[in-house]
Amino acid sequence: MPSNVATGAAKATMKVLIIDPDEARAALVAEGLADVHPLEVHRAATFEAIEGDLPLMAPDVIVIACESPDRDTLESLRDAKGENARPVVMFVDRSSPGLAEAAIEAGVAAYVVDGLSPARVRSVLEVAMSRFELMQRLRNDLDKARADLASRKAIERAKGLLMKERGLDEAQAYGVLRKLAMDAGRPLGAVANDLLTFAGVLKGGTK
Amino acid sequence: MTLPSRPLRLGFIALSDCAPLAVAQEKGFFGLEGLNVELSREASWANIRDKVAMAALDGAHMLGPLPIAARLGLSGEPSAMIAPMSLNLNGSAITVSTALAEAMRNADPQAMDARPRTARALASVIAQRREAGAAMLTFAVVFPFSVHNYQLRYWMAEAGIDPDRDVRITVVPPARMTARIASGDIDGFCVGAPWNAQAVADGHGEIVIYAAEFWSVGPDKVFSVTEGWAAREPQALQSLLRALIQAAAWADEPGNRAELASILAHQRYVDAPIETVARSLVGSPPYSREEPGADSRDYIIYHRYAASFPWRSHAVWFLTQMLRWGQIGPDVDIAAAAEAAYRPDLYRAAAASLGEPAPIVDEKVEGLHTGPWTLDEASSPIAMAPDLFFDARRFDAAQPQRYAASFDIGRFRED
Repeated sequence: MPSNVATGAAKATMKVLIIDPDEARAALVAEGLADVHPLEVHRAATFEAIEGDLPLMAPDVIVIACESPDRDTLESLRDAKGENARPVVMFVDRSSPGLAEAAIEAGVAAYVVDGLSPARVRSVLEVAMSRFELMQRLRNDLDKARADLASRKAIERAKGLLMKERGLDEAQAYGVLRKLAMDAGRPLGAVANDLLTFAGVLKGGTK
Repeated sequence: MTLPSRPLRLGFIALSDCAPLAVAQEKGFFGLEGLNVELSREASWANIRDKVAMAALDGAHMLGPLPIAARLGLSGEPSAMIAPMSLNLNGSAITVSTALAEAMRNADPQAMDARPRTARALASVIAQRREAGAAMLTFAVVFPFSVHNYQLRYWMAEAGIDPDRDVRITVVPPARMTARIASGDIDGFCVGAPWNAQAVADGHGEIVIYAAEFWSVGPDKVFSVTEGWAAREPQALQSLLRALIQAAAWADEPGNRAELASILAHQRYVDAPIETVARSLVGSPPYSREEPGADSRDYIIYHRYAASFPWRSHAVWFLTQMLRWGQIGPDVDIAAAAEAAYRPDLYRAAAASLGEPAPIVDEKVEGLHTGPWTLDEASSPIAMAPDLFFDARRFDAAQPQRYAASFDIGRFRED
C-alpha cells in the first residue's frame, strides 16, 4: 500500500482503462483525463477486445460505462484463481457520501486495485462523470437542434401552403398558424405538421 | 399508507424469466393495482444490483442467489436486499458447442443417449484432451452468484469433473452466449431461456441437459427490493406483489404462452426472434437440430406448483453451493442468511389478499417426490410436481453443512 500513498515524491503513473461501447464518449473521457497527471489511459469498446492484453496493461482503475454488459465479466475476475491481480474492487468512497450514487446515475462504474488512494481514484471518476454528463448534454442539444430544424422547416412549408391556397402574405400566414397553435395549446411546429398532413390527405397525397 | 405518485422503476435483464414483469406491464396488472411502473432493461446483473442498492431502481428481476450475496457483502457493496417473491422455476439449460457434442458422442455414446444426461461423456473428453495436451475447455455462466453457475458445477462434479481445476469457467452476458459459442471462444454455457434454444437454432450448439432435468423444480430468478424500500413503501410492495403474482399466473396458462412469446420477443424485452422465444415456452426446445425437445410444459414454470413462493429452502440450497465452492466460509450462519433474504411472510400477505393459496411452511425437502403430489401445508392444498435431482440426491434445508460436505468434489468438508 505505501507505494500508492502520495508522499510528495514522484507518484507512480496510474493506469486507467476505459471500457465504453460509445467510442466518442470514451474519447471525451480520455481527453479529460489527459489533464490528470501522471496517467496512462487505454480505451476499449468491449472487455473481449482487450481481454488478452489485460495482464500486460495491468490497469489500476477500470472505468466502465454502465450500459456495457461487460460489468458482470469484470466482476467475476475476482473469482478467477488469479495469477494476475486485476482491478475488481468496486470503487465506493465512503468519505464522499453520494459519490457512488451520482456515478451510477451518470452511467459510470469504476473498479480499482485494492489499496489505491481514494483521492486519486476520485479525481479520475469525477472527470469520467463530468464527461459522461457533458456527452449526454451534447446529445440532448443535438436532438433538440434537429427537432428545432425540422419544426422550422414544417412552419416554412405550412406558411407557403397558406400563402398559396388562401392568397395571404407571409405575415398573415404566420398569424393564422400562430392562432391555430394558441387555440389548440400546441407548439407551432406540431400545428404546422398537422396542417401539412391534412393538406396532403385532402389532395389525395396520402391514403 | 398510500401509493407513491411518481412512477416506480423496476429493472430487468433480457431473459424469458422476466415474464411476470413484462406481463404485468403489457397486460395491465400493474395498472389494475393502481401502479404506474416504468420498466428499465439493464445491461448487467451488476447494474441491477447497484441500482437497487443505491435506490436508482425501486426493485428488479434478480438472480436468486444475488440478494443473499449482496447482504453478505460478497457482490458489490453490502446491501440489505430481500426476495419477497420468486419469478420462475427452471428455464435454463446447459449447452455445448456442436464440436464438443460430437466429441462427447464419440467418447461415450451410451452416456449421450441417456436422459437426463450426466457429464460422463464430458469427463471422457476432458481426460482425452488432457492426454493429448489440448487446451482446457471453457464454459460460461452469467454471474458468479447464479443458479447457472451452481447447476453447471454440480452437474460436472457429479461425473468427477472438478469445475475449478478441469475446466475454465468464465462469465459472459446472456445475450452474448450464442455469439461466443459460434466464434469458438467458449465450448459450452449455462444460461436462461431463450439463449439455449437460440444456439441450437443457429446450428452452433446442442443442449445437453435442461434445468428441468437437472432438478425438476429448481429455483431461478426472484423479484428483489431493499429492506429499506420495503419498510418505506409497504403498500406499494404489496401492490407490486399482487400484480406480479397475477401476471405469473397469466404467463403460466398454456393458452397464453403463444401470446407471452410475442410479448417477450419484442425489442423492449428479450429482443429475439419470436420462434426462438416460443420454443422455450410451448414445450421444450430441441436438444439439437436432429433431436426434438421433450414434450414438457415444465421447461419453464412461472406460477404453478407454488412457483412464485420464495422458499427459504431455495435460499439455503444456494448457500450450500456457495459453501461448497468456497464463495462463503463455514462461519456464515446459513439459516440466518436465508431467513433475512427470502421473505415468504411478504408473499403470503399478498397472496392472501388475492385469495391465492400459499404455503404455510417456509421450507420443503427436495428430491423426495417421484410423481405429482399435494402440498397440504398451505392455506388451501396446492398441486405440486416431482422434485427430483438428476443424481437422485435428497436435500434437507435443516442440515445445510452436512449436505454441502456430502459431495465428493467441493471445497468444503465438515470438521
